Amino acid sequence: MADRLDLEVDLGRGLRLRSPVMVASGTFGYGFDAPLVDRSALGAIVTKGTTPRPREGNAPTRIAETPSGMLNAIGLQNPGSERVAREYAPQWATWDVPVIVNVAGDSVADYVEVARSLDGVSGVAGLELNISCPNVANGLQFGLDPRLAGDLTAAVRRATRLPLIIKLTPNVTDIVAVGRAVEAAGADAVSAINTFVGMAIDVRQRRPILSRGSGGVSGPAIKPLALHAVWQLSAELGIPVIGLGGIMTTSDALEFLLAGAVAVQLGTVNYVRPQSAREVHDGIAAYLHEHEFDDLRALPIRGARVTANA
Amino acid sequence: MTVALAPGVVVGRSEPMRGATELVIHHPPSACALRPGQFFQLAVGAPHTILRRPYSAAWAEPASGRIGFIFNVVGAGSAWLANRHEGHEVDLLGPLGKGFELDGGVPAIVVAGGLGVAVFPGVVQALLARGRHATVLLGARTADQLLPSDRFVGAEVKVATDDGTAGHHGSVVDLIREGSVDLFACGPTPMLRALMQTARRIELPLSSIQVALETPMGCGVGTCLGCAAPRADGGYLLTCQDGPCLRADRIDWNKMTDAFHG
Repeated sequence: MADRLDLEVDLGRGLRLRSPVMVASGTFGYGFDAPLVDRSALGAIVTKGTTPRPREGNAPTRIAETPSGMLNAIGLQNPGSERVAREYAPQWATWDVPVIVNVAGDSVADYVEVARSLDGVSGVAGLELNISCPNVANGLQFGLDPRLAGDLTAAVRRATRLPLIIKLTPNVTDIVAVGRAVEAAGADAVSAINTFVGMAIDVRQRRPILSRGSGGVSGPAIKPLALHAVWQLSAELGIPVIGLGGIMTTSDALEFLLAGAVAVQLGTVNYVRPQSAREVHDGIAAYLHEHEFDDLRALPIRGARVTANA
Repeated sequence: MTVALAPGVVVGRSEPMRGATELVIHHPPSACALRPGQFFQLAVGAPHTILRRPYSAAWAEPASGRIGFIFNVVGAGSAWLANRHEGHEVDLLGPLGKGFELDGGVPAIVVAGGLGVAVFPGVVQALLARGRHATVLLGARTADQLLPSDRFVGAEVKVATDDGTAGHHGSVVDLIREGSVDLFACGPTPMLRALMQTARRIELPLSSIQVALETPMGCGVGTCLGCAAPRADGGYLLTCQDGPCLRADRIDWNKMTDAFHG
């Protein structure tokens, strides 16, 4: 019965996903390391943040558990975009799931360089711009300012024909303003949200647990905050919103789809239950079937009675 | 790599030394697939916890499908595990990472500090099964925190305690003697650092020392990049993929930090 359901998602510019369940950047590597994952359940894989040149990442300690969540400050450890294009993309081209490369950098030139190097590369289905990495010097600046975010988006838009998703940071006063700016600059979609900046302190050793002091908080602790950001963005933007932040279960994913997201990304849960993408995919299908909905477009609950500033 | 993700059932629970818990879990695929030194990611159900907890298997018995874990309670996750009783399910992901290289012609010396001993019962058994001569050097704060030597039948066991209540009064590292040996070590980072200094002094190449590393860990499979350890030649390796068992000359011991037990 579920086979006849349409779970397809259109993110624009030809990027169509057969499932609304994606895996979030930084939680799935480049798709090669995760064991026991049923790729057929995935709408897309979003890779680790990729910079023009290789990065070693931050000194340990890089992660810590916090109540109902975790902190990370990996520092964009990655092999650089050249190796991604040369070694990884040809393998992705043989997979039956689109791979979206998450792009990071310190300057507009960095982002443009990665975008250029991946444009037209077989196996790369799209780009997600990480304009909001909290764990490297200058990593947040683009995402904090609507004008800078718009300028960066426009510059990358000119450098590639690939579908372009902008990943927004919640560490701002007005996330909708940044969303509007990147939409106006040519983004095909936004993903919301990246991690919140936070920290934890080792009271025995009297020092921050993470070597950098601060890191990004993810997991169920941030889910209500993420959900509200998606609710606001989907009311105000004309481009698709991809929801993420603390999704652990089918019910969590449905909340984001009901709030107006066209798709969701699973992040921290991949570390805990590698099979969760399959569970959430099947759970969404069962929900559609149970409610006699034909497709995902029936899900958003916003109506005339709900105001944008809810 | 045969990695299973499935619940096992607790079939035994004991206190092998003061403060420690040994859980015996029936999980035949893992008991058969384990190579000594590998680890598992154990799911915990304590309120407000998220991540799995990485534990080296202490031993495995393929014939009975049983696998043992020895650990101390250091936080909410390990406290939850220590409260599992016979019949309870525990969700295992593993075996993961690289085990020890056990083949070799020279005598084997095992150096265990504190809970570092938890990885060694199965390792020593495997060394003896290969016909190797094995000496186990055990260190603890005090006598009743030493794993009993009958867990290492067939090996020569020497002990050291910080307070002198058993064996040598001082560090387990003091028990190491010159000679051509393969060394297998696990323990707190300060102990491992002292071990490396001793090795240099007695001209034992660090390449003949294998360590089971302990670092904070997220996924256990190489995707989160959270378990970085400083490489001797710069940059970082991943404890979960490059280790946890690896040659000591691959690590920059001056930069190696102490694992945080939350």
